Amino acid sequence: MNGPLIVQSDKTLLLEVDHDQADACRRAIAPFAELERAPEHIHTYRLTPLGLWNARAAGHDAEQVIDALVAYSRYPVPHALLVDVAETMARYGRLTLSKHPTHGLVLTSTDRPVLEEILRSKKVQPLVGTRIDPDTVAVHPSERGQIKQTLLKLGWPAEDLAGYVDGEAHAIELDEREWSLRPYQKQAVEGFWHGGSGVVVLPCGAGKTLVGAGAMAQAKATTLILVTNTVSARQWKHELIRRTSLTEEEIGEYSGTRKEIRPVTIATYQVLTVRRKGVYPHLELFDSRDWGLVIYDEVHLLPAPVFKFTADLQARRRLGLTATLVREDGRESDVFSLIGPKRFDAPWKEIEAQGYIAPADCVEVRVNLTDSERLAYATAEQDEKYRFCATTATKRKVTEALVAKHKGEQTLVIGQYIDQLDELGEHLDAPVIKGETSNAQREKLFDAFRQGEISVLVVSKVANFSIDLPEATVAIQVSGTFGSRQEEAQRLGRVLRPKADGHEARFYSVVARDTIDQDFAAHRQRFLAEQGYAYRIVDADELLADS
Amino acid sequence: MSERSGGTPPRTLAEALRTRDDDALAALLRARPDLLSPVPNDLGQLATRAGTRASVMRALERLDRFTLQTAEALAASTDPAPYEAVRALMTGDEGDPRVEAALPGAVAALRAQALIWGADDRLRLVRTAREILAPSPNHPSPTGLGPTVAEATAGMSPGRIQEIITTAGLPSTHDPVSAVTALAALFTDRTRMAALLDTAPPDALAVLDRLVWGPPYGEITSKPAPPVQWLRDHGLLLPTSTRTVVLPREAALHLRGGRAHRHTEPEPPEILPHPSTSTVTSTPTARPQVVDSAAAAQAYTALETIEELAKEWNEGGPNVLRAGGLSVRDLKRTATALDTTEPVAAFWVELAYAAGLLAADGEADERYAPTPAYDQWPDLPPAERWARLATAWLGATRTSGLVGGQDSKGRTLAALGPDLDRGAAPEVRRHVLDLLASLPDGTAPDPESVLARLRWERPLRGAAAGRPEDLRARIAAWTLTEAEMLGVTGRGALSSHGRALIAPDSVDGGDSGAMGSFPKPASRTAAATPGELSAVGLHAARALAPHLPDPLDHVLLQADLTAVAPGPLLRPLAETLSVIADIESRGGATVYRFTPASVRRALDAGLSASDLHAFLAAHSRTPVPQPLSYLIDDMARRHGHLRIGSASAYVRCDDEAVLDEILADRRSHALRLRRLAPTVLAAQADPTTLLDGLRSMGLAPAAESAEGDVLVTRAHAHRTPPRTPPAPVPDGPPVPAPTLLGAAVRAIRAGDQAATVVRKTLPEPASAAPGGELPRTTSAETLATVQAAALTGSALWIGYVNAEGAASQRVIAPVRVEGGFVTAYDHTADEVRTYPLHRITGVAELADDPA
Repeated sequence: MNGPLIVQSDKTLLLEVDHDQADACRRAIAPFAELERAPEHIHTYRLTPLGLWNARAAGHDAEQVIDALVAYSRYPVPHALLVDVAETMARYGRLTLSKHPTHGLVLTSTDRPVLEEILRSKKVQPLVGTRIDPDTVAVHPSERGQIKQTLLKLGWPAEDLAGYVDGEAHAIELDEREWSLRPYQKQAVEGFWHGGSGVVVLPCGAGKTLVGAGAMAQAKATTLILVTNTVSARQWKHELIRRTSLTEEEIGEYSGTRKEIRPVTIATYQVLTVRRKGVYPHLELFDSRDWGLVIYDEVHLLPAPVFKFTADLQARRRLGLTATLVREDGRESDVFSLIGPKRFDAPWKEIEAQGYIAPADCVEVRVNLTDSERLAYATAEQDEKYRFCATTATKRKVTEALVAKHKGEQTLVIGQYIDQLDELGEHLDAPVIKGETSNAQREKLFDAFRQGEISVLVVSKVANFSIDLPEATVAIQVSGTFGSRQEEAQRLGRVLRPKADGHEARFYSVVARDTIDQDFAAHRQRFLAEQGYAYRIVDADELLADS
Repeated sequence: MSERSGGTPPRTLAEALRTRDDDALAALLRARPDLLSPVPNDLGQLATRAGTRASVMRALERLDRFTLQTAEALAASTDPAPYEAVRALMTGDEGDPRVEAALPGAVAALRAQALIWGADDRLRLVRTAREILAPSPNHPSPTGLGPTVAEATAGMSPGRIQEIITTAGLPSTHDPVSAVTALAALFTDRTRMAALLDTAPPDALAVLDRLVWGPPYGEITSKPAPPVQWLRDHGLLLPTSTRTVVLPREAALHLRGGRAHRHTEPEPPEILPHPSTSTVTSTPTARPQVVDSAAAAQAYTALETIEELAKEWNEGGPNVLRAGGLSVRDLKRTATALDTTEPVAAFWVELAYAAGLLAADGEADERYAPTPAYDQWPDLPPAERWARLATAWLGATRTSGLVGGQDSKGRTLAALGPDLDRGAAPEVRRHVLDLLASLPDGTAPDPESVLARLRWERPLRGAAAGRPEDLRARIAAWTLTEAEMLGVTGRGALSSHGRALIAPDSVDGGDSGAMGSFPKPASRTAAATPGELSAVGLHAARALAPHLPDPLDHVLLQADLTAVAPGPLLRPLAETLSVIADIESRGGATVYRFTPASVRRALDAGLSASDLHAFLAAHSRTPVPQPLSYLIDDMARRHGHLRIGSASAYVRCDDEAVLDEILADRRSHALRLRRLAPTVLAAQADPTTLLDGLRSMGLAPAAESAEGDVLVTRAHAHRTPPRTPPAPVPDGPPVPAPTLLGAAVRAIRAGDQAATVVRKTLPEPASAAPGGELPRTTSAETLATVQAAALTGSALWIGYVNAEGAASQRVIAPVRVEGGFVTAYDHTADEVRTYPLHRITGVAELADDPA
């Protein structure tokens, strides 16, 4: 009884990372426990019904789970928790969705009372058809996702054995002449392909696009790729052409400006969610081809309407890609039930240790506001307070000092408020990319930055995601979307591409002391802190004194 | 134990008791302690009391199923009945070696409890017990037997009886009595009866099949079907009213093969190991070490929960409802604070109350709060704290499982409220644990089999309660879950410290063999005040101590502003840490989170930033992360920027020099003045004192209006006045101690002898003189006479004092004597009335021909 694991009665598992058996224990519990926090000494995992069901779906049984807990636990495992684990896992698979030769999609139960219970639910009734026999009920194929989601909420997850359609075949090969998939990318592709559908979580800059490409090469079928914006769409296209056997003609872009439907089509969330007169005119895209694979990039941003369309796509393989599966709206479980369970997850620090992302030095710069600024802040309207303290002149000065300090390094200045960014751009004599900047202009500027023609770029939140800027080594965040954790992580991700000379990236977050800016910053940093990124705090005064 | 043989057989229970030796009497009094309060004067009184309905009912309720079945068989037999007859009823025609082996024990137990008396050839059931157990039309018997032929034909015309015996193939007789005897003899004779039934139409047998195991009554129409008609003609169904018929007892016994019960259960059902239903416990027998460590972990959690609860209520807990107890909302709030469900929270609250750690403070606005006993609580070693909780739980009559349910009037039972005492609780709890202890080490029982065993031991209790699930079974089920929560059991099996807890201590290892399960005095454990711990408790604490984890002296600090204590912490460390940080997760380890609010709380508690840094550096195994240092420094920098204090008065003066002068004057020291600003002094003295003080210094101050005074109240730990834990309310008097028993037996004997002597020497006073003075008799005599009269149906002359105190004389014919009341036909008033026995001043029998 001196294991590395402490099982708490609130279903959190504490893993002591410095323990001899820590690695073995991590491998044993990873299939069923969600890694919640991974700071330096003790990692926190959590047992959730969803996690346990995913483990069941992946072929693990309750006995394995209990064995793992008991074997590595330092203290006696609360009996109630073990019973709960066994009972929760026993709920999975009582209901199965499968194909019936004559009735199409059917829901079958091995436990009749469960079927009776769920059929009495008002939420399930509209989704099912006729009762075929006491243990079987017909389900309309279009409700496959909806019923899975509903059953999950009722606590009786259905095992989906109905399989997938192959889709229209299309030859896609990885072109691995000059590069090859990294081991974890291979594992991610295998994990996904083995499970059928699901989500792959990899840190920013760890090459999620290649996981997508790998999945396409496995599927060898027509593919629909959903991305956040046009710039990102172009990058996907560029990468796919470079890394696979696909040619420019085979890849279509479906965005605000172009409406091409080709064997591989890249569409933006924005165009899909355009709504005219109460209808979504671009929905036909989903039906326009017999897609064999649908890839959701940045799945944590999936807009609500897309969830709804996705529910209808349950017969097609779905791959979700993200770095931060935290949604501030708490809809993680919808992602799991509609796209699929988490198939692969790698802690950031682990990838960093393998050298595939650059080590980063995260620094919070605390700025003392001047007396007049403090007075103005104190009297500002409640809903203006954040904007006010986030955009003070003192912050601007500190930002300038930071840029000066890293002169010669490729630096991104990221912010939320356009006038603040414009002002910074003016003072730093750097171009500003914001929402109104045209796509052509954006690409031109990004290109210039990549080439090193520009060393400082001021960007708004348009650059939060999917902008591949391998050369950026310094990011300075001056303001953000309040306390968004995933935004912080994504912004850090902009500088995490491994550097040619292997030196570490810098991420500065400039924060006004004693204001709500500081509170939001603390919240924003939580995700990264839990991933093991220890923020260093520096006083702006010291910084200014140095320079 | 049996009555001494030789001499004439005893004619009454009193005589039978008189022949018993002292040990047997002591055993009787131990088994039925209610007979002892108050100590009876003589054996006659003891016998009378032992025959009262309430006492007999109490004794019957405490019989196990087999002994009760024996008593029922005896009630269905003749009076008196030989042992052989009872054996035949219990074993049936085929015989049952298990029943035969167990029967002498059952008879002995009944005799020891004075429920039966007489030698083996003339066993007599106490009359009240017979009334309760014997089959009668309005009291269906558990045996399902009907009345005897003689009883059923009591009101029948002689001609009809002759018809029946003729149809049954018997010769006609002269009188109904011999006819009935002949019919009964036919029914009891197996061969002749079988021959008779062979001639019955098949449908008639089907009718009999329906009645044979009871209820034996059936409804018929005025023109019954041929098979029923056949049965009626042959006396196999005898009419009880115009529409109902009954299967006479003799016939039913023939059909049953002589057995009084369908199933006799001579042996208690076994306690089975828990069936391995889930993968959690793949074998029902866990290793004893696993059981012990699991139980110890739970015991530790129990201690933490109690502390958490006391902390939650530290500054004064929820208000006491007017009817007593916690409101539903407060219970819910407490459950949330303890991160558990309401029933479980009710358990913890009741446990802390039973252990004397929480109580109502008894003030005008009554609230719950920890008792002064709680202040010493944390200083005790953990094992001892646990033992206190466990002993308090074991002996408590309060049952938290009832909380949330409703009482008989439909009111919700509140935690800590009234009406939660159940006398049976300590006994059932202890008994369940005893049953667990009877299993091999580390074996978890199947709860169903435990309940089955309890039902076997006290079959009447459940039936008497008449509820779908009887209280004893519910208490037993709660006991199993509560024992698990308290860490008495681990994974369902009794732990070694749990075993120590119920080990009989050497002081009163009295006999508990033959009687089955009679409770140890429940007061034993609860009598220990919170200040001291019983020997059993210490024993259990010693058994638990090695299984509790050793407290740690360090935590791990992390950059995400959490601290993890990978085990229980030393108390001072845990206390300080819980001030500086919020607790996020509990269990084997504790996760703390530092937040601005928690750091501020620590600063408020008087710790400085450097104290905090030093504390964290001293107790952290890892370097203190920079964000944490910053958090503390940032909070410390802002902490105390604004200062708030209280002053009772102030001194204001535009001339700074005057204030300098005042401060410099030694006489002003008593006023405790402090300079807040060049022109303002704050004083702790009240304005009047300040005025007087300054005047005495030769100054001429003027008072200002008192506005601007700041009163700051600080939080005080809230305590009740000294409180003792609630005394258990046992169900009936406790088992008397051996010395008391001896004394009682001697007293009864002496009284008995005195009574006998007096009766012989003194001539009977002229109590039976009608028209004379009011008769005066002792209450025992009154009761005996009235009961005798109720039996014989004779009239009595009584002296009676009514509620207004007016004395009168009445002539009554007692019908029933029950629970201290006589129901009688009052000849004086010419109606049936009920008289309380205690109002009857005396009785006298009437002369045979009343004038």
